[in-house]
Amino acid sequence: MEILLAIFLGGLFGAALYLAGASNPNKLLSMLRLEDLGLMKIIVFAIGFASVLLSVSIGFGIFDISHLSIKTTHLGVIVGGFIFGIGFGSVGTCPGTCVAATGTGGFRKGLAAVIGGLVGAFAFSMTYGFWEGTGLFDTMNLGKLTLFNLSDKFPSVFSIGYIGLLITGILFMTAAYFIPLRGRE
Amino acid sequence: MKSQNWMMKAFILGTVFFLAALIVKPVGVSTQFSVLSGIIHKTIDPDVITEDSEKETGYASSNAYYDRNDGKLAKSIEDPLHYDFVFVLAIPFGAFLAYLATGKRRNMLDGTVESCERQSAETQGCKIGVIPGEKKNVGKRYLPSFIGGFLLLYGARMADGCTSGHMMSGMMQGSVSGYLFAGAVFAVAIPTAIVIGIRRKAKGGMR
Repeated sequence: MEILLAIFLGGLFGAALYLAGASNPNKLLSMLRLEDLGLMKIIVFAIGFASVLLSVSIGFGIFDISHLSIKTTHLGVIVGGFIFGIGFGSVGTCPGTCVAATGTGGFRKGLAAVIGGLVGAFAFSMTYGFWEGTGLFDTMNLGKLTLFNLSDKFPSVFSIGYIGLLITGILFMTAAYFIPLRGRE
Repeated sequence: MKSQNWMMKAFILGTVFFLAALIVKPVGVSTQFSVLSGIIHKTIDPDVITEDSEKETGYASSNAYYDRNDGKLAKSIEDPLHYDFVFVLAIPFGAFLAYLATGKRRNMLDGTVESCERQSAETQGCKIGVIPGEKKNVGKRYLPSFIGGFLLLYGARMADGCTSGHMMSGMMQGSVSGYLFAGAVFAVAIPTAIVIGIRRKAKGGMR
């Protein structure tokens, strides 16, 4: 059952990435160059819409709170984000979209990025001990911090529960609506 | 991309992220790169992961990364055929089906970029402003993607998540780390993409 769900949801995710155009590096790059913001609209709106669905389902009590998965905030998130940004900005793909790209017309570059990613992940596994020693993961460590208190398990900034997430979701969707399709020339 | 077309795509993408969290757990991809590279590692060096009844997962590793969180990664490497790993393996198949279903139609409607992607896969020659016949060798063509992939995953593992886990799933749940990650990524990715774009244009109009 678990495996069937994985195949179903993973397949759905891959299809959604392709349909959104996110598996195409040229589209991601023109978004990052702020030329064609269509994909930005889609992603920001999708995050907002997912937040709304999540908060509503929590409100109705049909969402199993234990499914929430909040990651720890620490300095490594920012430094890792910078390194990630260099790769993202130069080739226009991310870990999920390059995997999706291996099933589409851009499969050669997708595969090259996947292989590079495997080597990169391995390099990190080998150097994790070093980074841990530098205290990177303990600096600015705020634990699994969330904006709103959806679960007692995680510390939160505001204690207004799922209503806060609902408002955030609506704000994201509104912002996405006003992002222009065309950016700079 | 015309009128409300983008919104339909966003509804689909958002629904998938929500459904995954509702039924099983939020979407995440980059951890599985560590799992697969760990499986390859273990094939070469079988001793890297050992059984350890004292750990909650039952596995330990001489590698600090595989070993952390009670050997969570060590267990995934030893026994990968579970939800997270299969989820990522299924992504290309879903993308392929969507590509088959809509690829041709989109190609006619959607103009240059999409058709360029297809053509470049087929003939390796479609690059705006590049004269056909001026084929780059394989290394030069795919080395940037390889290096890009390396940086993406090194950074994602350091941050403990990628665009899927941190940005999409994380921000959907109101996770502070997701916002921080997104801010850091775009602060670097946007200038990087713009600078590289300007340099390429200067070199001869290649996108």
